[in-house]
Amino acid sequence: MHIFKSITALFIREFQITYRNFTDILSILLFFLLGVIIFVFAIGPNKEIFDEINVSIIWTLILLSNALSIKKYFQDDFDDNSIVLFHISGISYEIIVIIKIISIWIFIQIPFTLIIPLSYILLNLDFNNIKIFYISFLIGSSIIACITSISSSMNLLNKKNFAIGSLIIMIFSIPVIIFSVNLNYISEEIVTAQIKILIGIMFLFFAITPWVSAFCIKLGLQNK
Amino acid sequence: MKFLINPNQFNKFSNIIFKPILILTIVLLILGLLYALLLSPEDYQQGSTVRIMYIHVPSAWLSLFIFFIMTIYSIIGLSFKIPFSFIVNSAVTPIGASFTLICIITGSMWGKPMWGTWWVWDARLTSVAILLFLYLIIMFLKNSLANTSAGEKITAILIIVGSINLPIIKFSVDWWNTLHQPASISKISSPSIDLSMLIPLLIMTIAFTLMGLVIAIIRIKAEILERKHR
Repeated sequence: MHIFKSITALFIREFQITYRNFTDILSILLFFLLGVIIFVFAIGPNKEIFDEINVSIIWTLILLSNALSIKKYFQDDFDDNSIVLFHISGISYEIIVIIKIISIWIFIQIPFTLIIPLSYILLNLDFNNIKIFYISFLIGSSIIACITSISSSMNLLNKKNFAIGSLIIMIFSIPVIIFSVNLNYISEEIVTAQIKILIGIMFLFFAITPWVSAFCIKLGLQNK
Repeated sequence: MKFLINPNQFNKFSNIIFKPILILTIVLLILGLLYALLLSPEDYQQGSTVRIMYIHVPSAWLSLFIFFIMTIYSIIGLSFKIPFSFIVNSAVTPIGASFTLICIITGSMWGKPMWGTWWVWDARLTSVAILLFLYLIIMFLKNSLANTSAGEKITAILIIVGSINLPIIKFSVDWWNTLHQPASISKISSPSIDLSMLIPLLIMTIAFTLMGLVIAIIRIKAEILERKHR
């Protein structure tokens, strides 16, 4: 039972840390909203253009705002060595990665579900289609969380080049963007097929992310 | 086969084979270019532009082949802890990136007169562009990680994760209905290309592969020397 106790303790710690730095998450959400507004100003008042690209705008900005959260994954714990303390208390690095992904997914992606209707209003979207968007968002955001975790653990030792982490996120999330945006425009007969492809990608990333991230964290700790 | 994983053996072996390969490369390159640019027939539809193929196809093949080699060396290097594989990785990444760039540039030069546009967002073209970005990100990541021994292992992981793009590039013309034509010489038994074009294409492919090998040998030897003096 000891391990469950430490896992719960780790969960509670994550929630406390994120709760105390709640302005961080608010800034990410504000980045998303401001991005939508910037897009609106950049395109101009032409309504036909909006009707064609509104979902793409929302998905692009979700991806970019997730790329901002890259430092929240392992960097602080790595810098003050608390990740070693978790490991000593009996949790393997793989489980630490999974806990981190789940807690950050809850604290960053769930607020997005609250703010997406607001962007729907800003972009004049039809609320009848929001169900499909939420399905694609719940699957796609968990894939992006996994990719962000991989990228974050790869850049633990990187003190010089901040942008490369976002580059890694963007290049691996190309299939997510393609299928999630496509889901909102295709006819109803092939929606389930596309969702199945997305779920397949999600399980692929669920399978590889803990191992890859944990391996990178171990390498980083060895060479610190 | 020890020269594939041991730097000293590699140095000895490459000293023996370097000059023959260099001479063979130059001979084949001259022969292939003469055959391809002067003697090979014009296409009945495309005219002389079909000759871009003799540069485009070999560099495309090499851009995939080099990433494949990097993937195999990354797996070997991470699982058996062989440092030579990381030397090979960091030496051949720029070669792969430049061949991918050559492939994209010649492809768009071919696409302009044939398709009427420099670039389309077709599955094959997009996946090759992603390959170029992957090469660049791999180079940047290795440069930005200060501690090299951890950096090259993390880069190897990135190579293994990124190798998922290789089958997508290879089969993109079969899976999706694309503007880019399907492969012509993958079917060994009955290639859908005439012999008078197939022979210069094969010569050029061998010449390009040997050219990549020559550059790789030079770069790997330089990398080994650099690490000895560090």
